[in-house]
Amino acid sequence: MNMKAGAAPDLAWPSDVTDVPSEVFVRKDIFEEELERIFYGPYWHTVGHEAEIPNPGDFKTIDLGRVPLLVARGKDGVVRVFINACSHRQNQVETAPCGNRKGFECPYHRWTFKNDGSLAGCPGSEDFSPKFRKEDYGLKQVNMTNVFGLILVSLADNPPDIDTYLDRGKQNLEKQIGHKEGLQLLGYQKVRYGCNWKVIMDNDGYHAPLLHTGFRLLGWQSGGGEQFVRDYSAGVESQLVPGKSTGILKDSSLIEFKDSQWDAGSFVTGIFPATILVKHMDVISIRFPIVRSVDCTEIHYAYFAKGGDSEETIKHRVRQASNLLGPCGMISMEDAAIFRRIQLAAEARGTAIFQKGVKDLKSIPNQFLQNDESPNIPRWDHYRRLMGFSKKGEA
Amino acid sequence: MSSMTQEVLATIDDLQNRYIAALDGKDITAWAGTFSEQDEATYICRSAENEAMGWPIALMLDDCRARILDRITFITKIWKGTFQDYRTRHFTQRLSCEQESDTVFRVRSNFSIEYTLDPNASSTLATGLYEDVVVIEKGEARFLSKRAVYDTTVLPNYIVYPF
Repeated sequence: MNMKAGAAPDLAWPSDVTDVPSEVFVRKDIFEEELERIFYGPYWHTVGHEAEIPNPGDFKTIDLGRVPLLVARGKDGVVRVFINACSHRQNQVETAPCGNRKGFECPYHRWTFKNDGSLAGCPGSEDFSPKFRKEDYGLKQVNMTNVFGLILVSLADNPPDIDTYLDRGKQNLEKQIGHKEGLQLLGYQKVRYGCNWKVIMDNDGYHAPLLHTGFRLLGWQSGGGEQFVRDYSAGVESQLVPGKSTGILKDSSLIEFKDSQWDAGSFVTGIFPATILVKHMDVISIRFPIVRSVDCTEIHYAYFAKGGDSEETIKHRVRQASNLLGPCGMISMEDAAIFRRIQLAAEARGTAIFQKGVKDLKSIPNQFLQNDESPNIPRWDHYRRLMGFSKKGEA
Repeated sequence: MSSMTQEVLATIDDLQNRYIAALDGKDITAWAGTFSEQDEATYICRSAENEAMGWPIALMLDDCRARILDRITFITKIWKGTFQDYRTRHFTQRLSCEQESDTVFRVRSNFSIEYTLDPNASSTLATGLYEDVVVIEKGEARFLSKRAVYDTTVLPNYIVYPF
């Protein structure tokens, strides 16, 4: 399935590398072109983790842009991803967000599919057209790969090599979700934010000590770390060190690190275009994005425990995950609140200008300190080139 | 229905009204004051999807009295000045009330929360079911536990206040 990208929308990009035109967050024509070029183009998109569908027959549905997908584990234990549309008249096959089924039935003409996607039954096939062959009419499978259980798909016929795509990000992913005994799903927090998907990906490391009062009140400090940026992955690896208890919380057990044997560090990984994975304290989370419109992005915060975790450790992870890092999280609600305000102000079509850590206005930086704003610059430059936006003064 | 039951129901309804009046009035300390002072008091808010699938994650998980009090700190100190505020209006409908002992009652109620972030657009924040355990302590009804299980699996906004 290769979608057709159109001509680049008309947009003159500022010449300084620090500058991003806010209209990229609000123009519908740019969003439509992003769907074609990026979300339906030759890139990898996360749609799930194997731990979400651990048993034969388990499935989940998710949209990639506006394309409905069905992620299913077959009776044979193999995970496959299909277009969630009947191979007959393209009716949506599965409506539930998740569940377990021996097979899938399209109610329109009662075609049935096994959970490996093959066509099991189709009433009245003796009268079907000469080109009907049952083996040709399974659910349409899409390109899929799996990295530490993370399921990525591409609707394009020519997706890039996944290791090259993830680059340095794979190292972070291993520390976040690469536990040798695998992961087990703890559940979800799901929310729609009133903002463009790029607003979320642009939520840089620089704001953390300033926006998140919780860090200061709790006496937390960074123990140093690094940010990295590649074309298709970016992230932070840091050691967040709890300081002396400030006594602000009556129940400080909420913010204890209990799984320091694995890795006490904090890891954030962004996978282009819009997925974020967080391993912060004892919270293991994948934030699956669904781009709904130019000003609406749905995030499914999926939380996990490690395979082999004790009952006590799981309980601790559930307490932390439920209270710290989602749309109502003690140290993340503020991020969510900022997203919408950026979107609203972007309607003024001003220019966002990065400052912290910037040394040169004309070259793309590649060295960053943990709280620098400058890692946003190569990410935006990559986006600009991918979308075909020329800089002012360029041909 | 006996007069005793009517009196108990009135006491329980009054508790629910105090609860939603505290939230809609943004008096988070009064919200915490509707819970029992026992250490075991809990407030848990989670999606119907997690509930149905047996997944333990919640949106808010205050599994002891100290955590309920810490939620006051989240809202009034940790998040202070970081979010655009919104108004809420809670609507509830008691569905059942079962007496467990002289002083303990199990109550189920539908809830709907309308919210106003932009002054020109009020809409539904969440709907769901309250599953409450109410205790009568010193003649006053308090929540020993309150579970808000919301049907609105995909919430429309960041969440500051309890449901």
